[in-house]
This record gives sequence, C-alpha cells and structure tokens, in this order.
Amino acid sequence: MLRFEKRDKTPVRLRVLVPICSVLLGLLVGSIVMLFARVNPVRVYGAIVKGAFGSAYTFSETLVIAVPLILISAGLCLVYRMKFFNIGAKGQYIIGAICGSYLALFGPATMSRPLLLTLMMLLGTLGGALWAVIPALLKVYWNVNEVIATLLLNYIASYILWFFMYGTWRDPGSHGFPLSKNFALNAQLPRIIAAPSRLHIGLFFGVAAAVIVWIIIRKTRFGYEARVLGENERAARYAGINVVKTVIIGAVISGGLAGLAGIAHTSAVLRVLQLEINSDYGYTAIIAAWLAGLDPLVAIGVSVLLAALEAGGYQIQIVMRVPFGIVGVIESSILFCLLAGEIITHYRVTLTRRLSTPLALDERARGGA
Amino acid sequence: MNPTFGTILIKVLAGAIQSGTILLLPTLGEVLTERSGVLNLGLEGLMLIGAFFGFLGAIKTGNPYIGLLLGMVAAGAAAAIHAFICVTLRGNQTVTGLALTIFGAGLTSFYGDHWVSQRLTTAIKPMAIPGLSQIPVVGPILFSQDLIVYAGYILVALFWFLLFKTKVGVNLRAVGENAKAADAMGINVAGTRYFWTILGGALAGAGGAYITCCIHPYWLNGITSGKGWIAVALVVFAMWNPFNALVGGFLFGSIEAMQLQLQAGGTYINSALLSMLPYVTTFAVIIVATLIVRVRHVGTPKELGIPYAREEK
Repeated sequence: MLRFEKRDKTPVRLRVLVPICSVLLGLLVGSIVMLFARVNPVRVYGAIVKGAFGSAYTFSETLVIAVPLILISAGLCLVYRMKFFNIGAKGQYIIGAICGSYLALFGPATMSRPLLLTLMMLLGTLGGALWAVIPALLKVYWNVNEVIATLLLNYIASYILWFFMYGTWRDPGSHGFPLSKNFALNAQLPRIIAAPSRLHIGLFFGVAAAVIVWIIIRKTRFGYEARVLGENERAARYAGINVVKTVIIGAVISGGLAGLAGIAHTSAVLRVLQLEINSDYGYTAIIAAWLAGLDPLVAIGVSVLLAALEAGGYQIQIVMRVPFGIVGVIESSILFCLLAGEIITHYRVTLTRRLSTPLALDERARGGA
Repeated sequence: MNPTFGTILIKVLAGAIQSGTILLLPTLGEVLTERSGVLNLGLEGLMLIGAFFGFLGAIKTGNPYIGLLLGMVAAGAAAAIHAFICVTLRGNQTVTGLALTIFGAGLTSFYGDHWVSQRLTTAIKPMAIPGLSQIPVVGPILFSQDLIVYAGYILVALFWFLLFKTKVGVNLRAVGENAKAADAMGINVAGTRYFWTILGGALAGAGGAYITCCIHPYWLNGITSGKGWIAVALVVFAMWNPFNALVGGFLFGSIEAMQLQLQAGGTYINSALLSMLPYVTTFAVIIVATLIVRVRHVGTPKELGIPYAREEK
C-alpha cells in the first residue's frame, strides 16, 4: 500500500524534474496514439521540430504563436494562484478582438497610427477584462461556479463574433465569406522583422506583462494576498483580506491580458477580423500556465515550447497530412502527467508492507487519535 | 386546434425528447459521480470519445448498438484516467477535467479525420411501444422513440431509487458528504469514487454515441458542440437529483429542438443568435440554480472536489 506524507517544502530538483518528465511522457503518449494510426512518430516529431525551429522564418512564426500564449498565461498564473479557475480566456480573447476591431473598422480614418493603435489595444484589453469580470462578480457575490460560467461565456463570445461576421461587419466585397474589410495601415500593429515574418511588437507586450505579473505575485501585498487566498480562503478572510476585491482585480488583469492578446494578434498578424482568429490559444495558455508552475517568467519559455508544438502541428498537417488533433493529444497528456506528478511534489510517497487496513487500526498504528 | 400545427408540435416535442436524451445521459452520470465527491468537468471530451468510438464501432460492425457499447467502454476507460489522477493521486480535479476535454477533442479529431462526413448505413431506429404509443399526443411524443430514450427513462427511475432508497445509495452519498466518516464505517472510499466516476464517464460516452449512432449518423470533429458543458451545468440545475436531471435534460432538449425548428423554418431571427440561445439559457439557469441551492441548502455534496487523504486531519 502506498503511504503519503505531506511535504513542507518541495525540493527544487523535483520542481524541475516533474515538468520535464511530463513533457517526455506526453510525447510518448502522442507516439503511441500515432502508432495506432500507422503514423511514424519519429518522422512527425522531426517534422514538428523542423516546422518550428527549422529556419529564422519558421522560428519567428513560432514566436507569433507564443505572443498570445505569453500574454494570456501571465494573467492565468495570477488568477489560478487565487484558485479562481478562469478557463474563459478564449472568450475574453474574442471579445478583446471584437472591441479593438470596432475602432479599426469604424473609427475615425484620419487618426494618427500611434493614437489609434493605443486606443485599439486599450479597448481590446477593456473588453477582455469586462468579459472576465462578469463571472468573477457572479463567483464572489453568488458563488456561481466560475469554470462553468467562463466556459459558457466562451461559446457565447464565439457566437457574438459569428453574429458580426455574418452581419453588419462583413465586407460587402468578401463574396459572402465571413470577413471584415482589411484593416487600414494605421490600424495595423507594427511587425518587427522584415516580411514574410509576421512577428510583431506584441512580443514586447507579452514579456512586459509577464515581468509585471511576476512582480505583482512576488513583490506586492496584493500578490501575497492572492497567494494566501488560494491556499486557504477561510484563513484569508480571518486575516482581513478583501476577497471580493482580490478576485475582481485578478479577473480584470487576466481577462484584460487575454483581450489584449486577441486584439494584438488580430491587428498585427491577421489584419482583418474573421471567424477563425485562433482563439483556441485561450486553452493552450492554460496548459502553459500550469506547466510553468504558475510562474509567469517560466511561462514565457513554456509558451515558446507549446507554440513550437502548435506551429509544427500546422506544418505536419499541411506537409504530411497528419491531423492537427495530435497536438491536443500531446498537450493534454503532458497536463495529465503533470497533474499526476503533483503527488510527488506535494507528498513524500513510500511503500508500506501492510496491504489495506481499517481506519481505526491504521490510526492506532501511527499513534494517532 | 389547427391539425397541422398539432402534428408539428408533436414532432418538435418528440425531437425535444431525443435531444434531451443526449443531455440526460451525461447529466445523470455526472450527478452520481459528483454525489461520490468527484468533480468531472471532462464530460465534453468523454462525449466526443463516446461519439467517435460509437461511430467507429457502428460502421465497422454494421450494428449501431455494438457501436454504442464501444463508445461507452471507451469513455469509461478515459474516465478511469480522471479517477486515477483525482482519487489515487489527489490531483486537481478542475484542471484534470479540463485536460480530459482537450484530450477527447484532440484524440477524436486525430483518429476521426479519416472518417469525416462518412455516414452510417444502419443507425438506431425508433421502436414504438405497443399499446402505450397509441395514446393520443403522449404516445407519439414519449413512446414512439428508440431504445436509448427508453433506457434514459428507466435509468432515471433506477438511479433515483438507488440513490435515495438503498444501502448502496446511502454509502455513495456518505462518501461524497464526509469521506472520513464513510471510511470509519468501513466503506471503501476510493473504490466507490472509482466506480461512479467510470460509470459516469460511460454514461457521458453513451450520450455522445447516441448522437452518432442515431440522431446524426455521421462523424464531424467536435460534433458534441459544447453539450458536455451544458450537461455539467445541468447537474447544478438538477441539484444532484436524477429526477431533476430528467426535467433539465428535456427542458434543454426543447430549447434545442425549438431552435432547430426556427432555423429550418427560415424565421427572420439571426441564426447566430439562435445558436447562442442554449448557451445563454444555460448561463442564466446556472446562476438561478446556484442561488436556489444557496437559499435551500440542498444538493451539493459537501466534499465535492476534495480528495480524501486518510492521514490528514
């Protein structure tokens, strides 16, 4: 029988080893799934690495995907620490993209580029924050389950986008396709490397956001309160921490960053609002945050890694006709292993000889109550 | 009453029962899983696994019932992963459920890619119950359905009886309310949680397989389109009671059927807004249900989502 003893402190080597082993095991599960479909995993992984890091261009495309992941996961690191399980980054990303695009499509055409872009990013951030505040309010005042609420809001946001793209925002010249008209130059967030690379200044937003959130978590009173709240809500209340305020601010930050990711990606990479704006990054970012142990700086690196998997995943779909679904299998398997591995980081696990004992005997044996 | 309007209404309501069964089966399973103290948010992924493997089994064997069974087994096996991580390894149940959803979506779109848009030649067909189906109005709505719908009725009654009238039910609830006390009474906490998590997963799989083996007998990636999440919300609506799950399932089935009818009827209401309707309604319902649960203090198993650790106080 296994016996678990709670650890006071997790050794650093475990905190590094568990995520690394999780990634390796996730790739192994991916291989097994591929073998069942008679697909050669070695070739697929080779193609993924080549598709993600093969050239300066492909690496810059990997970073294009990493940008929204870094932005979103930074916010998630904060709210997950307070155990507010916002899984609505997808919806917040979409609403952010819609709000910011409104200015791009219908704003004053003569506005200077820096001003218009600043306003677009602000509006996008605000939209995402608003979309996250709704479930946060429902949670703190009425105890509505935030997982279900944020998830339903993802679907609702998708249909709002659909509503606009098949409605008044569709470009009359798009031949019926659900596309807006192209963003004018002054509504396009600048790219930072020469074409064809689409890497844009959102990368700096992402890194800055990660650093700021790291400082908030580590160095501020608010961050401390967020951590206490996550560990023990009752203790947090006794300590006089304002739970309502903490959760709402957390939701504003995490939703805002997801909204910013949405509008930055739309404005810089797509340069048009359309039905498919890669909003599933909202789910991938959850894995990034968790894999990073809820540390926003570590999440930068993890985001690049997951972005490589996604960028490579698009490549293998085009070049080798291997369905993109395999990326989801690998990502979720990594997450499974990570969650399973927490038993080792949280507990000291030992094998005991006695098989299964009644509770009373068990407690007496340990000299307990 | 206008006879044509009457027949349309009966047709819509019969459709509502079918759509309702898709939601009823996973909701019912999750009611039992959560009663045992395990929160499984992976229903959407489990339904997809059920839907795909159900379709695969049906197309390979030519028998949709074998397909349904395979879908249930596959989803039950996937739910066992959840049980292992959450019960044995005490992992975070929220995030594990989410991983399960991503896993189900990824796995089925990877294997399903080959099968997209292929149709089953034999799907599950309605079997009118002799006698009962002859009752005017009620007969064609409730008793001219297929075996899965009838199984849904029976399971509701069976699980209600099991949960509230038998020793098994008492033990199951004890594990979800106070695992330590249940352990002291000699109930196998881990075993109970494993059993109901896997059974709940199999029922979610049945809901998914019912889609592909009967209602839409073809495969599309993401064919469950969020129904698993609606089912998770319906468990709160049902206040963890199998009978209420039936009410909730059929209520939401009606919304679905009505929405489809309106879209097919070419009304002037925007189709995006119509498609949004089930999610908006679910969102409203989850808020109202939470408030009711708070006032009446019913339902929510006390130790829902909390792993049981014998050595911890």
